[in-house]
Amino acid sequence: MTEKKGIITDIKHFATHDGDGIRTTVFFKGCPLRCVWCHNPEGLSQRPETAFYAHKCISCGECLKEGFTTDDCLGKARVLYGREVTVDDLIPELLEDRDFYLSSGGGVTLSGGECLMQAEFCAELLKELKREGINTAIDTCGCVSWDSFEKVLPFTDTFLFDLKAVNEEVHKRCTGVSNKLIIENLRRLDGLGAIIEIRIPFVPGYNDGEIEKMAVLLSSLSSVKRVRVLPYHNLAGSKYEALGMANSLPPVLPTDKEVERAREIIREKADIECL
Amino acid sequence: MLISDIDRKHIEGKYHGADYDPFNRFIYHGYAYDETTGLSDEEIKAGVAALAESLEGEDHAVAKSKMFEYVLENTRIDINEHDYFVGIYTWDRVLWKHTIGKWIYEAADKVADELGDRKRDDFSRAGYAWSSLDFDHNVPDWDAIASLGIVGLIERIDASYKSLCDSGNLTQKQDNYYHAMRRELCAVLSLIKRLYSYSLTKDFEKIELIRESLKCISEGAPGTTLDMLQLAYIFFMVTESTDLIQVRSLGHGLDDMLYPFYKRDIESGRFTREQIKSFIAYFFIQFHAIGNYWGQPFYLGGSTVEGDTRVNEMSYILLDVYRELEIYNPKIQIKVSPSTPRDFLDKALDMIISGRTSIVFCNDETIIKAIMNSGGTREQGVYADIKGCYEYAYRTGRSGISTNVINALKSVVLVFSNGVDPTTGLKIGIDTGDVSEMASFDEFKAAYYAQLDHLLSELQRSIGTFEKYSAEVSPAIMHSSTYSGCAEKLCDMNDGGIPSVADNWVAGFASVVDSLMAVYELVFEKQTVTLGVLGEALRNDWEGYENLRLRALGCTHKFGRGDKLADECARELHEHISDFVHAIRRERGRSIYFIHSARGYIELGRQTEATPDGRRAGEEMSKNVSPVIGMDTKGVTALIRSATSLDLSLADSGACLDCMLHPTAVQGEGGRDILFSVLDTYMKRGGASIHFNIFDADMLREAQKHPEKYEGLQVRVCGWNTLWNNMSREEQEAYIKRAEAIAQ
Repeated sequence: MTEKKGIITDIKHFATHDGDGIRTTVFFKGCPLRCVWCHNPEGLSQRPETAFYAHKCISCGECLKEGFTTDDCLGKARVLYGREVTVDDLIPELLEDRDFYLSSGGGVTLSGGECLMQAEFCAELLKELKREGINTAIDTCGCVSWDSFEKVLPFTDTFLFDLKAVNEEVHKRCTGVSNKLIIENLRRLDGLGAIIEIRIPFVPGYNDGEIEKMAVLLSSLSSVKRVRVLPYHNLAGSKYEALGMANSLPPVLPTDKEVERAREIIREKADIECL
Repeated sequence: MLISDIDRKHIEGKYHGADYDPFNRFIYHGYAYDETTGLSDEEIKAGVAALAESLEGEDHAVAKSKMFEYVLENTRIDINEHDYFVGIYTWDRVLWKHTIGKWIYEAADKVADELGDRKRDDFSRAGYAWSSLDFDHNVPDWDAIASLGIVGLIERIDASYKSLCDSGNLTQKQDNYYHAMRRELCAVLSLIKRLYSYSLTKDFEKIELIRESLKCISEGAPGTTLDMLQLAYIFFMVTESTDLIQVRSLGHGLDDMLYPFYKRDIESGRFTREQIKSFIAYFFIQFHAIGNYWGQPFYLGGSTVEGDTRVNEMSYILLDVYRELEIYNPKIQIKVSPSTPRDFLDKALDMIISGRTSIVFCNDETIIKAIMNSGGTREQGVYADIKGCYEYAYRTGRSGISTNVINALKSVVLVFSNGVDPTTGLKIGIDTGDVSEMASFDEFKAAYYAQLDHLLSELQRSIGTFEKYSAEVSPAIMHSSTYSGCAEKLCDMNDGGIPSVADNWVAGFASVVDSLMAVYELVFEKQTVTLGVLGEALRNDWEGYENLRLRALGCTHKFGRGDKLADECARELHEHISDFVHAIRRERGRSIYFIHSARGYIELGRQTEATPDGRRAGEEMSKNVSPVIGMDTKGVTALIRSATSLDLSLADSGACLDCMLHPTAVQGEGGRDILFSVLDTYMKRGGASIHFNIFDADMLREAQKHPEKYEGLQVRVCGWNTLWNNMSREEQEAYIKRAEAIAQ
């Protein structure tokens, strides 16, 4: 095993919404997109960051002492996002829930941030997981070079592919970047017959006018087994504050009716299972 | 509709009014019955008191049976147009103060004289343990009741009596006991006949069916499903209310018990499936209406000795009725085995996910292994009864004679105080030396186990002496009459009629693990603090040491996280207690081990000083085999890994894991499959019982603020289901704290 290192923000066990079954999700740090609704702002920068949750500070004074690390913070107000790990560091923890994976058809999902910004590391990790017989999934925004996809393709069972908008201008307004590379990657991945689940964050005032276009795009693909419309929520406000970042979260939440309508459009126009 | 609204409402008022206290099972009063059918409560009380006086000095079984007979002869009865089941008015344990309530103090004095001390009282005062004879954890042999009926039970003891008389081996004690059993059974039979006669004076839609069932069970064994349910109900009522021994459960498989009757009824065309469902609904509603806080459990499912499923058509019917009624009592516990049909489990899981009801899942294989570990056969394991919140017991062959609720955390405190209980000043422990001079974690741990062993030994000494008075204190006549062993020997179940078990409940299991681990981590691994300073902090209930307390709470090695060191420590504790309990030699049976404490985790916690895991004095301890609240920070998979790192079959009375899940994890598409996988993995890893709770904290806060809006909200607490509004504020807070921790 090489000593290549990845940088992650968290590992979540019993993840039930990041692919099939019961999964463990590894959140990688760093993302090429700047989605206005991002609910994982700690995953944007590739550098480690310390957040400060002021409401949790109990004035224990530990942070004033020499040699302080966030582990010493007694109120858990200071949190370090971003730790370097090797594949060897991760594997034992990722295998802990093996019997839950087997029972539920679950496995390990690499997410973020954008995990494919660390494609080489991901490839090594996934290779090791496959060697252990673990089902693997990658949750990607798609905005990385095709070369990155190629690295992980042999070891990835499912791609959870985020789609935010079809219209390039809308995409730019939503995420700060063009979607050309994203759509190109999606088509290439589809062409290879990879198992794809499309995930559409549904954000009123931003991409709610894109659903029909997305349905058209999806109808032209052949490997998408399922689409999930994810209703936007604004529960990440305290994270922005703790990280000292400007909060860009849109104020309007979708109604159940709007979300269901979006799902119906996808089902009708793209003829794909949509949840 | 299985039961009309008006009938349901009527039965819900059958046992008590709105001022009912679910913790107090001694006061039950429903609507007024026809006063011509018997004496008033006051008259019965006066009659029993006079009778008791005249029976002073009499053999206790004989005396109790005569009082039992008097009550049943004179109780008011009812046959009502809104109910298939009869009414027996005297439901306030009128015999208590003249029998068990009096005889137990007499026995306690004898025990104190024999031992020359009152250690049991000291343990109780110091919050180390509660230990007493047990009148609440027994199950009659329902199969014998179903196959013989009251008439057959009488014939069986008559045959034994004749045989013993013929052989010339009958002792005076047996003679007395035979007559006591016969008197009680005949009193029940007379009551049934009186109910039948009374039914002849009534005329309404249900009356024919009621009459037929009463006639049948007054003449012999039950024939139809309704006969069986009527008999089970009457047996339950008179045994709990008048014979004063709790009929703790409806057995090793209500589905198994009812299925032959159901099959016969359907095949003969006697009843339709819908009619039978309706009878069951009326039967269930009785227990729902009685509303015993501790619940009235019964098993469903399980397997045969060959491993085939015992799930049958009746199992599905019982689930359907339960779901339709939206009740929380009686309490279903499903024995899950590899052969349990998936669609049956799915039906049960759907009921849990909907949040409208509660079901416990038990691992059939672990139960069988546990019963075999404690000396039983595989068959006894397969047909194990449920005899408490989660406790399993030999089918028909184990009377629960005594229960010790042991506060395992107190011994941690005693290491810091050299054996003296800090609050009462009682020297309940032993000298283990000055804690500040302990140079290694092993030394500290050895001191803990020395304190624990001492207390366990002392406890066994006192309860062991008490046990021999059990039959004298509480002759369990109705229960004994159903056991073939007791019927053959004409001997009480607590007097050697069948083997007995002394149950040892352990409270604060994970709190002990976390405390030991905190000492290891803070004092020896990281050397953050010395044992002397830690002891000082504990003596001051952490006052002035808040940062240290937070460090203790923030320790890495906690039970419930899948942490290897903590799990290893838990295994050591578990095996130590198991070895100790199972090595106890008792005259008439075994000692068994249960990782559970009912409300002990709160009440004994209240009497336990601050502990190294960061717990403040008086705070609750961990419950069951669950982690300390909020410490299972690694999710449900880690929680299950920790719990199943223990060989749970060593806890041969039972062990339950409380598993709280956030609704988002298991609701919606695929949610049921996720829950199934959690259950399946827990079972495959050798889990014992598991109790799922699917709630979010916001909803519980809302329920706390507006109890009136959540009258039907039921939650699963420590082994039983209860209405949210029935929980104390303290219990509610603990519950919410746990829900909040899960959501993080």
